[in-house]
Amino acid sequence: MVTADKLNELQLEPEAPELDLSWLNLDTVWGVSAEPGRKGLTLQQINKTIYGEIPTTSEDSSARPRGAAPPEGATPRMTPWVLGDATETFSDSAALLYDEAVSRQWSSATDIPWDTLDELPEDIERAMVQLCTSLTEVEFIAGDVPGKWLPRIAADHFESGLFLMSQVMDEARHTDVFRKRALANGGGLLLQGGGGGLRQILEAEDFTQMSSMLHILGEGFVQSLFRLGELIAHNEAEKRIFRLAAQDESRHVAYGVTHLKYTLEHEPEKAEEVHWTLDMFEDTLVDPDQANPGLAGALVYLLGDGDVDEGWRLFWHVRRKQVLEYLHRLDVAGLGGRLETGRLHPSLAGALDEN
Amino acid sequence: MPDNDVIAAAKERLEQSGLPSTWLDIPVHWGVKAKEQATPENGGLRFQMLNVDVYGEVPEYWDNNTEIPRGAVPDTRTEQMGYSIFNKAEVWSDLCADLYEDAIADRWNSSADIPWDSLEPIGADLERAVCQIATLMSEYGWTKAQTTGRWLQEISYGYIEVKLFLGTVVFDAARMFEVWRKRALANGGGMGRGGRNWKFLPLTQSYTFSEFVVASIMHDSMLLTLLRRGEQLARTDAERRIYQLCEQDLERHLAYFVDHMRYLMLKEPVRREEIHRYMNKAEWYLAKDGDDTLYSALAVIMGDGREGAEEAMADVAELRREQIETYLGYLRQCHLADRQDRLNEELRKWAGMVELEEEEKIPV
Ligand SMILES: [Fe+2]
Ligand SMILES: [Fe+2]
Repeated sequence: MVTADKLNELQLEPEAPELDLSWLNLDTVWGVSAEPGRKGLTLQQINKTIYGEIPTTSEDSSARPRGAAPPEGATPRMTPWVLGDATETFSDSAALLYDEAVSRQWSSATDIPWDTLDELPEDIERAMVQLCTSLTEVEFIAGDVPGKWLPRIAADHFESGLFLMSQVMDEARHTDVFRKRALANGGGLLLQGGGGGLRQILEAEDFTQMSSMLHILGEGFVQSLFRLGELIAHNEAEKRIFRLAAQDESRHVAYGVTHLKYTLEHEPEKAEEVHWTLDMFEDTLVDPDQANPGLAGALVYLLGDGDVDEGWRLFWHVRRKQVLEYLHRLDVAGLGGRLETGRLHPSLAGALDEN
Repeated sequence: MPDNDVIAAAKERLEQSGLPSTWLDIPVHWGVKAKEQATPENGGLRFQMLNVDVYGEVPEYWDNNTEIPRGAVPDTRTEQMGYSIFNKAEVWSDLCADLYEDAIADRWNSSADIPWDSLEPIGADLERAVCQIATLMSEYGWTKAQTTGRWLQEISYGYIEVKLFLGTVVFDAARMFEVWRKRALANGGGMGRGGRNWKFLPLTQSYTFSEFVVASIMHDSMLLTLLRRGEQLARTDAERRIYQLCEQDLERHLAYFVDHMRYLMLKEPVRREEIHRYMNKAEWYLAKDGDDTLYSALAVIMGDGREGAEEAMADVAELRREQIETYLGYLRQCHLADRQDRLNEELRKWAGMVELEEEEKIPV
């Protein structure tokens, strides 16, 4: 064994680093300051002078923060490639959405009134834990996807990177909270969902295609559903879960919409590519073979509180709202006209005729 | 006990409407009620409380390449999702579930939780030095978030606790990136010079998760040593708070990395030499990075300006020695005490350790 005495005996003077003061005379932009505002010191408030200017292209795959001077001497490439064009990943709202994400974090352990979970009739409890099984599964992939893209975001476009980092956190919490609900009240985890477009989101190799599927259509549908969580919930705990998760999903959807808007403003020719992606993804979402056998049945059952006919009626009410909000989001992003041109999948268009 | 009549009636109603009802046939592990443990004194409903019955059985090998939740019944039509880690030893630590909840309980907000109004002019040299350090801290936060994030798509739901915890690491790292950027741009300064980044290659290039973990132990333990000097380095309450909060986050990260590596060394001792290779690499890149900007900026702060920097270098050298000591200390905790004798020659000089001749090597 190495004893303390032995080590002391062997101890030499530590070698000192070399003093290099060249960084005291850099020509980076100097003299910037920022005053905290009502919400403190937000990203918006430090995005000033050159430090707030977003380069339309970036060649830099290193971690060097925007506006910093380049290092001296040889430097390695950190990743084989980054998405250097701002149109690939940028959103004008990313900084704001990140700030909001940080200030609206919540805890599934302490912010859900778990003590309001009363014993539910067995059929209802089963339907709820089935829904939660499917949701914890969906949320799991929703966290993998931004993680996959992180190394490809240029540090010059850090706002998008920060937003995606906050999404990783949000989706961890969603994966966790639905698992908690499934195991909190006497039920358990039931049938895996499988399919329904998760693989398509994960495998996409174009960021804007991925984001159109994940943020706009996928999370858009989820957000519309969560906002109607009152129709599904049977107690305060469940209501709160849906309300808080919906709040997070709103940010994810907003990022997707504003990213697409930014991209289409700068590269309108990309519209057809996104339409094509949505054609494919809508098709996947409504494909009966891809349908999650647990999710649809459990959702209808919960909506009708065991009355399946009433559940169907409310299901179409939800679906109609999902489709209307989806079309509205596309309009805002500058990709309107899917309904008018007959491009929207017929079974989604059909939902608009319901009640 | 399941009420068969209620379920049979529910099935019938669903089938009449053409809805799938197979999910009602699944044998439920009825009676798992995590809510019963969830009291304010227990910290609410913490993830670890879910780990009962089959749901708490974390398998040594997880054999499903879909996103199926641990404990659910598979739908065999589901496509594989490309996960690559199915071996518990490769990622596991018993601490993950608690560290995940702790991270959420410790969450902070760089906009509102830092007393930004305590910033005041600190003199040109010191402001330059603080901004230089802030620039390098931002870089590390960015790299940490990117390199941690990329492992998420490799880890299957079997080890969900690990992924949840890594999600908090990504988010903590994001905050580390931006809180230091805010510091650099808030007080009349600006960004400094970027680092050379050679030292980060062992993180970005890692092929196995454990390789990423040992490189993280090296970087994080050195950074933690620096953050712990916050009292001495901070010139304002805002900086003091930033040092404290980043330190608290990094301690959690290291708790996981170290406990995981300890687990791996116990479960798969045969990997010891392989892990040493990764440490050889991480240390080599750190030593050869040769970028003394960080230490020079620290010298300017400790010396209260450029005039005092030369003299302060002795203190900085002592700090760097402590960094290596902290690193080796964490490795001792993961049954890698033998690193002491295999440490990179350059880092031995930083630590003031004698160069050992082959025959003098101390038995550990
Ligand atoms: Fe989510
Ligand atoms: Fe989401």
